[in-house]
Amino acid sequence: MSNPHDAFGLYVHIPFCEKKCPYCDFNTYAGLEQRFASTVDALCREMTLWAPRLAGQPVTSVFIGGGTPTVLDEALLARLLEQIHTSFQLTADCEITSEANPGTVDRRKFRLLHDLGVTRISLGVQSFQPEELRFLGRIHDGDDACRAVDAARSAGFANINLDFIFGLPNQRPEAWLATLEQALTLEPEHLSLYSLIVEPETPLYHWVQTGRVPAPDEENAADHYELAMARLAAAGYRHYEVSNWARDTGDDAVMPDRACRHNLVYWRNQAYLGIGPGAHSHMTLADPAGGQTEQRWGNHKPVPGYVRRVMAGETVTAFHEVIDPRLSMGETMMLGLRLVEEGVEQARFQQRYGQALEDMFAPELAYLVPAGAVTVDEKRIRLTRRGLMVGNQVFARFLPSD
Amino acid sequence: MNLDHIRNISIIAHIDHGKSTLADRLLQMTETVTAREMKEQLLDSMDLEREKGVTIKASAVRMIYRRGDQEYEINLIDTPGHVDFSYEVHRALQACEGAILVVDASQGIQAQTMAHLFAALEQDLTIVPVINKIDLPAAMPDDVAQEIENLLGTPAEDIPHISAKAGINVEAVLAQVVDQVSPPQGDVNAPLQALVFDCHYDPYKGVIAYVRVVNGTINGTPALKAMVSGKTMEPIEIGVLTPAMFATPRLHAGEVGYIATGLKSVQDLDVGDTITLAAEPSAERLPGYQPMKPMVFAGLYPSNPDDYVDLRDALEKLQLNDAALAYEPETSQALGFGFRLGFLGLFHMEIIQERLEREYDLDVIFTAPSVEYRVVKTDGSVITIDSPAELPEPTLIEQVEEPWCDLSIFTPSEYIGTVMDLITKRRGELRNQNWLDAKRVDISCTIPLSEIVVDFYNDLKARTRGYASMDYTLDGYRASDMVKLDILVNQQPVDALSVIVHRDDAFYKGQRLVSKMKEIIPRQMFEVPIQAAVGNKIISRANVKAMRKDVLSKCYGGDVSRKRKLLEKQKAGKKRMKMVGSVEIPQEAFMSVLRLEDD
Repeated sequence: MSNPHDAFGLYVHIPFCEKKCPYCDFNTYAGLEQRFASTVDALCREMTLWAPRLAGQPVTSVFIGGGTPTVLDEALLARLLEQIHTSFQLTADCEITSEANPGTVDRRKFRLLHDLGVTRISLGVQSFQPEELRFLGRIHDGDDACRAVDAARSAGFANINLDFIFGLPNQRPEAWLATLEQALTLEPEHLSLYSLIVEPETPLYHWVQTGRVPAPDEENAADHYELAMARLAAAGYRHYEVSNWARDTGDDAVMPDRACRHNLVYWRNQAYLGIGPGAHSHMTLADPAGGQTEQRWGNHKPVPGYVRRVMAGETVTAFHEVIDPRLSMGETMMLGLRLVEEGVEQARFQQRYGQALEDMFAPELAYLVPAGAVTVDEKRIRLTRRGLMVGNQVFARFLPSD
Repeated sequence: MNLDHIRNISIIAHIDHGKSTLADRLLQMTETVTAREMKEQLLDSMDLEREKGVTIKASAVRMIYRRGDQEYEINLIDTPGHVDFSYEVHRALQACEGAILVVDASQGIQAQTMAHLFAALEQDLTIVPVINKIDLPAAMPDDVAQEIENLLGTPAEDIPHISAKAGINVEAVLAQVVDQVSPPQGDVNAPLQALVFDCHYDPYKGVIAYVRVVNGTINGTPALKAMVSGKTMEPIEIGVLTPAMFATPRLHAGEVGYIATGLKSVQDLDVGDTITLAAEPSAERLPGYQPMKPMVFAGLYPSNPDDYVDLRDALEKLQLNDAALAYEPETSQALGFGFRLGFLGLFHMEIIQERLEREYDLDVIFTAPSVEYRVVKTDGSVITIDSPAELPEPTLIEQVEEPWCDLSIFTPSEYIGTVMDLITKRRGELRNQNWLDAKRVDISCTIPLSEIVVDFYNDLKARTRGYASMDYTLDGYRASDMVKLDILVNQQPVDALSVIVHRDDAFYKGQRLVSKMKEIIPRQMFEVPIQAAVGNKIISRANVKAMRKDVLSKCYGGDVSRKRKLLEKQKAGKKRMKMVGSVEIPQEAFMSVLRLEDD
C-alpha cells in the first residue's frame, strides 16, 4: 500500500439527477437526458487534456459523484470508467467510489460498475421514514434502499456507504433512531450522516422563508447528532470524521480501515483533480515564475457552457485562487480537525510548513485549550467532544483574519 | 440698503407645523431661488434633516421683496424645531427684530412653541402670527386664531390664514412682516460690532461666521478681531446668503451675512462672540449668549478600535458646526478608548450618531445616557458626575442629588390619563393642569431629568398618537436614592453597561436588562451567566446557554473554498463584537439600555 500521505484523488462530477431534491444546492440538473452523451464526451475530453500533465502521478482514489452517476446508462458508465483507467495511473489498491441513488440502480448496473473496477458504492438513502423521504423529495422508498444494498452486495461490493440526513424540521428522535436501526440491519461498512442545511436559492429555503416549513432547530440537530454518536459507537462504528463513521477491522490504527480514502484526501488537505462542471481541484503547480504555487480552482458550472468550452479546447476554470502558506496552514487546521481521532498531526504539519504547529497557532491554542475545545499531545491536535459539537467556532479561529 | 428697508426675522413653529415649507415658499415668491433650484426644505441642507423632516441647524438667507416700487431686504434666520435645540432657537432670535409664529390650523399652539414664543417676547421681538395648513380637512383656523388672540392679543381677524404647501395667501405674510416688524436700529458709522450667531466649517473657505451686523460697516476684507477670544483674522471674503454664499463688497449695520474668516478651527471663534475691526475696534462687545450646558452624557466608542483617531477627527469637525456638542476622552474596560459626550438631549445624541455614521462613515457604539449627578460624600466634599463609573463606593456616599426639571406637556384632553400615568411611572409629580381651551390641556409637573432623557418623548408621542408636545427647563437638584446598577457577564462587571437608577426601579430595570442581554448575546462555546447587581447584591440572573451544535456537517465535496468562506463570514461577524473577558458581546447590547421600555 502506498503511503497515505502521498495520496492524490480524482473526482468526476456527473451533473444529472432524475429529479432535483428541494434541499439540494449542488451543481446538478434534472431533465437533461439529451445531454448525457455529450457531457460524458466532454468529461472524457477533459480527462485526456489532463492526462499528460499528471503522467507519473499515481492516483490513490477516484470518486464519481454528482448528481447521480447511476442515471447514466451502462454504455456511458463504461465509457467513463474506461477513460479514467486510460487517462490516469490508478494504484493497485485504488479506491473507486460511485455514488448511487437507490431509485436508479439494479443488479445489472451494480455488476457492471463492479466489473469496471468500482470498489465502493455510496448510496443516498437519506431516511427510512416514508414521510421524511417525501419531504426530502426523494424518488425512492425504504424498500428500494434495502433492495439496492442487496443488489450491490450480490454484485460483489464489500464496501458500501449509506448517506442519511438528520435534523429535519419536526423530526422526532424516535424516527431518527428508527432510521439508524434499520440502516444498521443492512450492515454498511460506512455511514455518512449530514445535518439538513437550508441553502439559499433552494425550494426548501423558500419554504422556510415563507413559513411553510419551520427552520431546522439547533437543539434538535444536536440531540440527533448525539443520539447517532452513541448508537453507532455501540454498533462498533468509529466516528472518524464530523459526519462520517466507518467499520474497523479492530487494530488500533488511528484511522478505521473502511474510512473513505477519497474524502480523507480532502480532510488531510491533499491534492486532487476535479473533472466535470463545477468540480473543484486542489494541487501545487509550477507557476510562471518558476516556483511552486498551491492553488484551488473550480470549473464552470452550467453544463452546456462546460461542454462547449471543453470541446472547443477552451479553459473551463471559472474560479481560481492561490493559497499562500498562511492560508494553507489555516485550511489544514480547518479540514484536519474534522478528523475526530486523527486530528492534525504535529509532525506532518512541521514537515509540510517547516514550522511547528504549536508555535504557529500559539494564541489560538491558548484560547481553545483552556476553553476545552481542543486537546494537544505530542503527536496531534484534536477536537474534544465539546469542540466537536461547535467545530465551526474552532476552525474559524485558525483562519487568517483579513 | 437703507435700514428702513431691512427686516430681520425668524420663524417659530412646532415641529411639523410647516416652518420649512413656509420658508421655501417665501424664497420662491421673492425669486431668491428659481423653481428649478427649489428643493423641498431648501434651508435644511443636511441630508438627515431632509429625511427626518426637521431642521437641526439654524441657517440664514437674504430675500428681496418687491412691493410696489419699494424693495425690501428680508433676512430670514432659520431655527431648529426640536425640543433639544431651544438654545439654537434663542440664539437665532437674538439676531432678529421680528418672528413669524407658524401655528398648524389643525393642532393649535404646542408646548414648545410657547417656550420659543416667550423667548421671542422677552427679546422684544415683534410677533407675526400665521395660521398654516388651512387646507387640511381637520383645520380649525378660527379656533386657533382665537387661541392666538387670547395669548398675544393679536385680533383674530388680522391673522393670515395660509397654506404654505399649496401657496395660499403667503404674500400676506411678507406684507405683515414689512408693515409690523421694525427695521433694525444701528449706526452704520459707529465702530463695527457684528454678532456671530452661527458658525460653520467650510472645507474650502475655512470657518464661516454667520453674523448680524449691529453697528458699523465692513468694507471689503479688513483685518478683524473676535472680541471674546481675542483672535484676529484676515477674512477671505464677506457676503450674503442667497442661500448660497454670494460675495458682496460690504456689510453694514442691520444686515445679516457671512464672513469667511480665514480661521482654520471653529474653536477659534465662539458663537455669540462680537467681531470688530482690528484697526478701529469697538469699545464694547455685544451681550452674546449664555454658554449652553449639556444635559445628557454618554460614552462614544469606535466599533473598531482602529477608528479612534478618525472618530476624534470627526468629533472635531462636528463641533465646528455644532457648538452644543461637548466631548472629552474616556476609557472603558469593555470598549477601549473613546469619548464622553455631552448633548442637549436624546434627540441631539441621535443626530450626532447618525451624522457620524453617515457623513464620516464610522461605526460607533453609544453607552446608556446619563445626566449630571451631584454626590455629597461622607467627608462632606461634593463632586459632580455624569457617568456611572464615577459614582463612588456606596459607603463613601452621604447623598446623591439629581437634576429635576419643570416639564410642561400640552395634550388633547382625552389623553390626560395616559400622560399622567407616564409622568407617575417616571417618578414625576403633578403640579398643575391648565385648560388651554375646551379640548386641550397644559399639564405641568416636576420630574427627574434622567427620566425624560431616555425614550420619554417617544413614549409620550406613542401614547397620544403624536398629539402631545412638551417642553422642559431645569429646576435645580434634589436628593434621590440613586444606586449604580451593574451588569455582570460571566461574573465580570461590564463597565459600559452600568447605569445609575433610582433604588425603587433597580429591581425592575435589572431584570429587564438581564433579559435583554440574554436575547442579544449569542450562545458561546460555554454557558454565560448574566447578572444584574446593586453593590454586592445580585438582583437578577439569567444564563445564555452554551452553544449546542455549530459544526458544518455537510459534504461540499472538494469545494474547500466555499467551506472556508462560510467560516470567514462567521469570523467577520465576530469581529464586530466586543470581547469582554472571553465572551463576545454584540454592539447592540451596549445600546439596549436605551430601549428598556420597549415591548
